[in-house]
Amino acid sequence: MLIVENVVKAFGSLVVLDGVSLTVKPGEVVTILGSSGSGKSTLIRCINGIEKLDAGRITVDDFDVTKPRELAEARKRSGTVFQLFNLYPHMTALSNITLAPIEVLKRPRAEAEAEARALLASVGLEDKVDVYPAQLSGGQRQRVGICRALAMKPRYLLLDEVTSALDPEMTSEVLDILAKLARDGTTMVFVTHEIEFARRISDRIVFLEKGKLITNLPTAEFFSAAGGLALPRVAQFLSKMQKA
Amino acid sequence: MRLDLSLLIPYIGLLAEGAVMTLEIAVLSLAGSVVLGMVVAIARAGKSATMRRIAFFYADVFRNVPFIVQLFFFYYGLPEIGIYIDAFTTGVVALSIAGGAYASDVIRAGILAIDDGILEAAEVSGLSRRKIFTLIVLPIALRTSVRPLGSVLINIILTSSVLSTITLNELTGQARIVSSDTFRPFEVYVVLLAVYGVLTYLVSTGVSMLHRRLNRDLQPEVN
Amino acid sequence: MRYTDFTPYDLVLLAQGLGVTLWVFLVTTAIGVTIGLVWGIVRFYRVPVLTPVISFVSEFLKNSPVLVQLFLVFFGVPGLLHVDMSPILAATITLSANTAAFIYVIVVSAIESVGRDQIEAARAFGLTRWQVLRHIIAPQAVAFSAGPLTALLVNQLQVTSLISVIGVMDLAKIGANLNLRTLKPFLVWTAVGALYYVSAKLIALIGARIEARLRAYAAFRGL
Repeated sequence: MLIVENVVKAFGSLVVLDGVSLTVKPGEVVTILGSSGSGKSTLIRCINGIEKLDAGRITVDDFDVTKPRELAEARKRSGTVFQLFNLYPHMTALSNITLAPIEVLKRPRAEAEAEARALLASVGLEDKVDVYPAQLSGGQRQRVGICRALAMKPRYLLLDEVTSALDPEMTSEVLDILAKLARDGTTMVFVTHEIEFARRISDRIVFLEKGKLITNLPTAEFFSAAGGLALPRVAQFLSKMQKA
Repeated sequence: MRLDLSLLIPYIGLLAEGAVMTLEIAVLSLAGSVVLGMVVAIARAGKSATMRRIAFFYADVFRNVPFIVQLFFFYYGLPEIGIYIDAFTTGVVALSIAGGAYASDVIRAGILAIDDGILEAAEVSGLSRRKIFTLIVLPIALRTSVRPLGSVLINIILTSSVLSTITLNELTGQARIVSSDTFRPFEVYVVLLAVYGVLTYLVSTGVSMLHRRLNRDLQPEVN
Repeated sequence: MRYTDFTPYDLVLLAQGLGVTLWVFLVTTAIGVTIGLVWGIVRFYRVPVLTPVISFVSEFLKNSPVLVQLFLVFFGVPGLLHVDMSPILAATITLSANTAAFIYVIVVSAIESVGRDQIEAARAFGLTRWQVLRHIIAPQAVAFSAGPLTALLVNQLQVTSLISVIGVMDLAKIGANLNLRTLKPFLVWTAVGALYYVSAKLIALIGARIEARLRAYAAFRGL
């Protein structure tokens, strides 16, 4: 279980997360929606321990990310995919994927490489094993980024606007992979602007507004007139995004 | 006024010996500079305020005091405190320390230029601080530093001529011998200048090739 | 010579050495800046033959050791041309030429920093090349080159220490004499190094002041 309890995070005087609570059960796909600056990405960055909390608690399978001793264990249980890919530029696709399994999980190199090859093949990049990030397209880079996160066999996959830097064609090649992962039962926390896609794959949808969690509903309910759409801010957001 | 370079032909072997020693000194000093520069760059990026201050002080002092003064400080000073090392070692040590002050700046700039996102990706994957530094930060910083480190190497080669003042017979030292043997200083030093020019030209060409080779994967081809 | 301890007069010697160093620095800087500017202007006017020759000479001076250039002028030229050459004259010629080579590079890149479109626009309005240089390029180029110029001068101050090798009684030479006489290398070279360091810092400070003022002026003029 991934549990976020009353998390407060501020940058200077700007409160970005204001008492957010959220629970993600194994096997669930939870999408976080909200306009820019609502705190979605910051929430992801708090879960994987990049940002320190000002108050509250986050536990990943009972390991508390606010405790330095437990952070390493918590991080082993979650994997992050970034908006701007953040691949290691000096390493091949294969090495990008095997680095952490070999160095952190102490897996034998041959084993880690075999798994990485299988992962790359599963996202259609079997011919890009020895290629460097700069020689890949944006969509290909992000697919490697997903493989890198999956190689650690995380219990929770954190996806931070993973298609925002991609054009529509590349976006769909990445979304197809995420849809497949969702079908396979991968637990995901998904920050996105792709509303239609979120509607298709999510079990629940969470809406953030100015650092506060406004709704947390099953997907069908979120998009129903009596549920999420009854909230003026949600309705406004959805109509704005659909126009865009 | 006549210029007769043929009289230098018997001395080609001697000058070649000097050139080999100059290259030996330059390569060893570059290695020393890079290692020292790395340590200092790490100290300057580190957490300890004392270490940061010491590292800054070192880089500042050795860039603002003439090399010949640094060299004499070590050459005449070390025996006084019971450290007896030969002129060659003294020269390499002095050049490494002087070059390290510049190399530390270069490497530091390379470290600071690394995208935060890449470091965050490494951090959340569970890599320790030390692993992140040795496997991600240093390799990236060193690759982007190839060109400026090439300038440091060229400076080391040019500065190594000063080692002739502590009895070392590198290229310039040998040329001084040839000059006093032949009584033809003009010819000797013109040729010497040309040799240094060729040497630095070859080094800068080599550095450009190395830079392109190491960074060929970093050139964005598609996007 | 008898080994003796320091005397109060040694302070006077050090002051004299520092005076010689600073004097040589100032004179060669003035000459070097003038020559470098002229070279830069020659290039701006694309004078045939002269422009490539200047580029070559500048590259040559930048890529060979100053010490060897000093030897060529001090030992080589008198034999070739049958003229007398004092250490101070050889020092002045060599350091001026060396400074000019680096000034030339700064001038060229400063002129290039002013966009080609600006120059073409001014030419289209009927301004002569000289008017363009005087009214369009110079004010911007000066602000651009203040930083690199300061860095160069700090470096050239240190380069002056090499003239001690051909016997000019500058700060480094006084240091060498005191070192031989007192056999206290650490003390002597630390004192000499400190004097160079303070002088270098002073140059950097003055340079930074002038740069700040130029920038403020450029901002005021809306450049």
